[in-house]
Amino acid sequence: MYPDDMFDAIEVVTASREKRKQEKVANLSAEAAERLLRKFHPDYKESAFRNLRAGVNRGARTTHEIADLLEAFSDLDYSKIDLSPEYDTDVLVLGGGGAGVTAALFAESMGARVVLATKLRLGNSNTIMALGGMQASVDEHDSPVRHFCDTMTAGKFVGRRDLVKALVEDGPRVVKWLLDTGVDFDRDEAGNLLTKKAGGMSVPRLISIGDHTGLNIMKVLKDEIGKRDSIEVSEFTPAVELTTNQFGECNGAILYDLGRKRHFTVRAKAVILATGGSGRLHMQGFPTSNNFGATGDALVIAYRAGARLEGVDSFQYHPTGVMFPEHMVGVLVTEAIRSIGGHLVNARGERFVNELETRDVCAAAIIRECESGNGVTTRSGKVGIWLDTPLVEETSGNGFLRKRFPSLYRHLVRVKIDISKQPLLVFPTLHYQNGGILIDEKGETTVKNLFVAGEAAGGIHGRNRAMGNALLDIFVFGRRAGLAASTKMFNDPGNVTLNHVHRYYDRLKSLRISSVAKSPTLFPEFIVNKL
Amino acid sequence: MHNDKTMIIIQLEGRKIRLPEGLTVIEALWDTGHDVKRGVGCLSGLCGACTVAFLEKGGKKVKFGLGCQKVVEEGLNVIMLPYFPSRVARYLLDVMEKPLEHLPEIYPELYTCNDCKACNICPEWINVAGVMKAAKDADYETATEHIMDCIMCGLCASRCPKGIAPQHVALFIQRALAKERLFPPNLQKRLEELESFQFDADLGRLAAMVDDELEAHCRQAEGG
Ligand SMILES: Cc1cc2nc3c(=O)[nH]c(=O)nc-3n(C[C@H](O)[C@H](O)[C@H](O)COP(=O)(O)OP(=O)(O)OC[C@H]3O[C@@H](n4cnc5c(N)ncnc54)[C@H](O)[C@@H]3O)c2cc1C
Ligand code: FES
Repeated sequence: MYPDDMFDAIEVVTASREKRKQEKVANLSAEAAERLLRKFHPDYKESAFRNLRAGVNRGARTTHEIADLLEAFSDLDYSKIDLSPEYDTDVLVLGGGGAGVTAALFAESMGARVVLATKLRLGNSNTIMALGGMQASVDEHDSPVRHFCDTMTAGKFVGRRDLVKALVEDGPRVVKWLLDTGVDFDRDEAGNLLTKKAGGMSVPRLISIGDHTGLNIMKVLKDEIGKRDSIEVSEFTPAVELTTNQFGECNGAILYDLGRKRHFTVRAKAVILATGGSGRLHMQGFPTSNNFGATGDALVIAYRAGARLEGVDSFQYHPTGVMFPEHMVGVLVTEAIRSIGGHLVNARGERFVNELETRDVCAAAIIRECESGNGVTTRSGKVGIWLDTPLVEETSGNGFLRKRFPSLYRHLVRVKIDISKQPLLVFPTLHYQNGGILIDEKGETTVKNLFVAGEAAGGIHGRNRAMGNALLDIFVFGRRAGLAASTKMFNDPGNVTLNHVHRYYDRLKSLRISSVAKSPTLFPEFIVNKL
Repeated sequence: MHNDKTMIIIQLEGRKIRLPEGLTVIEALWDTGHDVKRGVGCLSGLCGACTVAFLEKGGKKVKFGLGCQKVVEEGLNVIMLPYFPSRVARYLLDVMEKPLEHLPEIYPELYTCNDCKACNICPEWINVAGVMKAAKDADYETATEHIMDCIMCGLCASRCPKGIAPQHVALFIQRALAKERLFPPNLQKRLEELESFQFDADLGRLAAMVDDELEAHCRQAEGG
């Protein structure tokens, strides 16, 4: 329920609705958009960044939150960890989201024995939360070539072309794999895959499963994993360090058993990191749409092992995260509401940006409004602007929101907010890690036998990931990493050591860096900031 | 902020406790020192990890919900539910020609359902009993249509006196139906084009362009 003191603010939205309906807000010119981004987009806020002092990416720019983890000693007591392997396997997959599960399935299909270890329950991931859909060039008027152009353009031409090429060429093929595995996508009357057009696409390319695309894919893949004899799943056992052999090649990981509260070692011939993004590091204090386990662990442990990172100073802030009610702060409100005509409205009842501008531009515009006093302040001091949902209900018909966005509608009805009658207070939410650990077309990093797939990987999306390309990416590169990792199954993994960690720590010491952090973070520190 | 916060008293995991209002059950547990990890995932009401059972003040009937979405209120008596075991059948979809015909062998318990509706406690508002009835009657399209929102929390299975796990039965039907459906013609066509290397030359050319050239090319394509 909105508290009484917000009713006046809501009234402004209602009163201005008719007038706004007539208005058109022009798109910004390329120059104006660039100016807006430079001034208000968090990626450009210089004080939030610093250059790394140690490691492969010395001199590269990243956020303080990430630098603090990379430039720290882990609080682990390494002397207490038993390095003799409790398990020996061919392929060790870390992370039980879409990328990890796909990698495990493909590695197994090549005859490899696989251990898949994950932090929470299998499937608890950002993948399950993906609503909108996945890009794949299946439409008659589309082609992988167009998809290539759109992806490069979205990424501001810094994405690696060989990776983007792999992404778009494999697209239709992984859709076939998903269909064969028992995932179905929305269809048109002729049985074609139904494609929708979204921001940054020159033709319709988004395929989806109602409003629960990720969930319905993940349910099926998780079910499939359970039916494969050579995949052993280990839940509630996050990875806290990688291990290497005498040549510095990756050969396993140290996992932490959350139940037993003890560490153990898994040795493998190849390791695939698929631990997802880093939203829960709450970069620059932003709320996040990410799941509880998205703490960027892969960046930390791979960096210590000598893997090169790319683009870890670029993040996607989704323009519309919930700002009220308090317990839903950060939860994603899908783009679709804006696509079908939902206005962004400031405290004065005005629109201030064309709602169909790219995510980064919309986010920057909202931040500008809030910083210049045109935001609405909640009781706890949070500031946001309105997403005029009743307008959508009005133009699309009674009961539309409930039918089209059932889960959002339900979550709010539970706390007595009816979005068909009252607008929703929103603010940008930290959504996606555009960069990550650099990979090649096979998914291999600069460290031998260490592969990465999914949101943890870097190089594909440049400085801005297009909507729907993340889901595609996890299947394309999950598959590629799984296949390539399985070719290592006849290798000798060698002795398990932590030499790379000690070497990295020596470098930190020589720079007189002495900070100790819980790194990897594993779980965000929960602060009940409502007290 | 502290002073104008209303405090409430609830019964949490069997213990009476004073808390500020506005917290979810999960937040209340964290706030009172419970190290909840098993029951947490998305914190967005999408993953089904956090099921809770509760009795509202003056309420007569125990209700169920999601701990990351249920906001605690004065007089609430609430616990987190442990993981509930349910049988997942083993089957290989690959080797089945018409998988739906195998439903009676794969989940025979489905046919013991007598429509008691005890399973209708879905936090996603799914009419689970209706879905099970449709499944029993072999109306598979109707059954799947209504379970796209299922987050596999397993609450329904925990209530079924016949030991049916509706979430797994429904998932089998969903997968089997997907497999039996017509292969999409537009995808088929694109795959054939890819097989005959139709896009190789163009993609190779684009990938080899210098930056400015690629940018100009993409700009133009977008306009066209
Ligand atoms: C709310 C939301 C909506 C989205 N909507 C879309 C969309 O519509 N379209 C789209 O393309 N993309 C979307 N995305 C982005 C997309 O869902 C993700 O980028 C993608 O699913 C990431 O997949 P992943 O497998 O790499 O990581 P995840 O799915 O996050 O999986 C990572 C897994 O690793 C585990 N893990 C973490 N740390 C460790 C560790 N140390 N050891 C072991 N395991 C660990 C996690 O618990 C998790 O299971 C959305 C994201 C969010 C959050
Ligand atoms: S934590 Fe995912 S549904 Fe509650």
